[in-house]
Amino acid sequence: MANPGSGRKGNVVRPSVFRGKHRDDAPKPILVMEEVYKYFRRDVPTLRNVNLTVERGEFVFVTGPSGSGKSTLLQLVYRQHTVDSGRILFSGRDVSRLTDSSIPFLRRNLGIVFQDFKVVPHWTVYENVAVSLEILGTNARLARSRVAEALERVGLAGRGNERTETLSGGEQQRVAIARAIVTEPALLLADEPTGNLDPQLAIDILTLFEEIHEAGTTVLFATHDHSLLATSPHRLVVIDDGRLIEASQGLRAWSARMQSLGASHAS
Amino acid sequence: MEIWSALSRAKRGFRDDLRLHVVAIASLVVAFLCLGTALLSVENLTRIASRWSQTQHMTVYLRDQAKEADVAQLRLVLESLGEISKVEHISAVRARELFAEQTNMSSADLAQLPTDAFPASLELDLADGVPSARIEKIAARVQRFAGVEEVETYRSFFGQLRSLIDAGRSGALLLSLLVVVCVLAVIGNTIRLAVANRRREIEVLKLCGATDSFVRGPFVLEGVIQAVTASTLAMLLLFVAYAALHGHVESTLTALTGVRTVFLNPLTVLGTIAAAAFVGAIGSALSLRRYLQV
Repeated sequence: MANPGSGRKGNVVRPSVFRGKHRDDAPKPILVMEEVYKYFRRDVPTLRNVNLTVERGEFVFVTGPSGSGKSTLLQLVYRQHTVDSGRILFSGRDVSRLTDSSIPFLRRNLGIVFQDFKVVPHWTVYENVAVSLEILGTNARLARSRVAEALERVGLAGRGNERTETLSGGEQQRVAIARAIVTEPALLLADEPTGNLDPQLAIDILTLFEEIHEAGTTVLFATHDHSLLATSPHRLVVIDDGRLIEASQGLRAWSARMQSLGASHAS
Repeated sequence: MEIWSALSRAKRGFRDDLRLHVVAIASLVVAFLCLGTALLSVENLTRIASRWSQTQHMTVYLRDQAKEADVAQLRLVLESLGEISKVEHISAVRARELFAEQTNMSSADLAQLPTDAFPASLELDLADGVPSARIEKIAARVQRFAGVEEVETYRSFFGQLRSLIDAGRSGALLLSLLVVVCVLAVIGNTIRLAVANRRREIEVLKLCGATDSFVRGPFVLEGVIQAVTASTLAMLLLFVAYAALHGHVESTLTALTGVRTVFLNPLTVLGTIAAAAFVGAIGSALSLRRYLQV
């Protein structure tokens, strides 16, 4: 498929550009966090010594209780905030060192889905999805076909002319997902995307993310919904009290790990 | 590509906040109408001043007891000067008759005026392009001739008229500044309200990787379109009002001033619209600065 930003290479930072000095054939992790600290209050770090490596093509759940720092972790990746110490490498490039004017080009390589959807309610479904391509300068004809394809992938084929505010919550989230994937981002960040949906819709949305992942997209999915984790075999990392704990595959192993951690704390 | 995208988003912005933009344009029309009226007044006053200052005329008032030989000698000297194109002697009786003709005053009323109210004079027409300094020099020399009471060059009158026009220009300049402030405030506040209504849109754009200029583009265009629409409408309204009044007051004004009134110069109209566009763009861009941090 054609690169949607191919007409504006000077303005589009593709992941390959982020590779850094040492280029070789070995696939590099798409996201590396090294000793990341983030403080919103001077004495209490929201994130402390976070180390995380996400390989290309992985699906990683980030879970933990509310307020544990899941959203902050994701916000550091798309530079809503900046790390206080440590570094975050996206395709080999330290995002915390990007200048303000480079942040848009980082975000063009990311797809971001939010709990509150962040769609523009009075825009049509088409306008909400096409906005990502419009920013890249994609021509109208290509944009139409890309949007149609994205809407088909999220199950909203043929509904491009509907006003987004008339859709249900689950459908609005599908619009947001279509907007996130329409540019074929290197990394898809999902920040509690099922938080405002009922359990069945949440499973539908997770299934959609899994389908997108199967097509080759790397996904970092933050959620505190254990019912979702129980049904998925993907890698799981847990944030608790600002610390990131690598759980092995699946919720069962994580639960066991949490139990053992609890026992060691108690002793 | 980006300009078309900005235009299409500006169009969407007008569609979404139509009432807000209409109210803003209406306010701006009033401001530009005031400015246009001031400019129109200054333009016509300037024409009057220019026309009158080109009327090169001088009056040499003669003493009642001036000798005919002195007057004849003075007349000979004046006619020999290259700067003077015509010399006409007006006797005291003729001056009284001329006054009566111009004022339609009855002979009874005229008889009550003192005899020295109408001195004999020499009316001089000056050649084109004689500088003021030269006129003053000639007047000073004529003043020294025997039989000359006073020389009127009308310079003080033109000076007063010039002062009046300068004051008008200063007033128009002040009004222009006031209109600029008004335009900045109206457009700035409109764009701020539009931004508040479209905060979610800006957030989405920024999170999808839009640069500040991409986000700013349609808002700046909206400011420009508001200012251009308002200034153009104001100029059209002013022209319609001018055309409607012109027929009624033109003959009187021309009789009073000797100058036909004109509408604003096309360059002034275009300049006003271009300046409005510039101020509109600045107003929008300034009001957006703080809302671009996402």
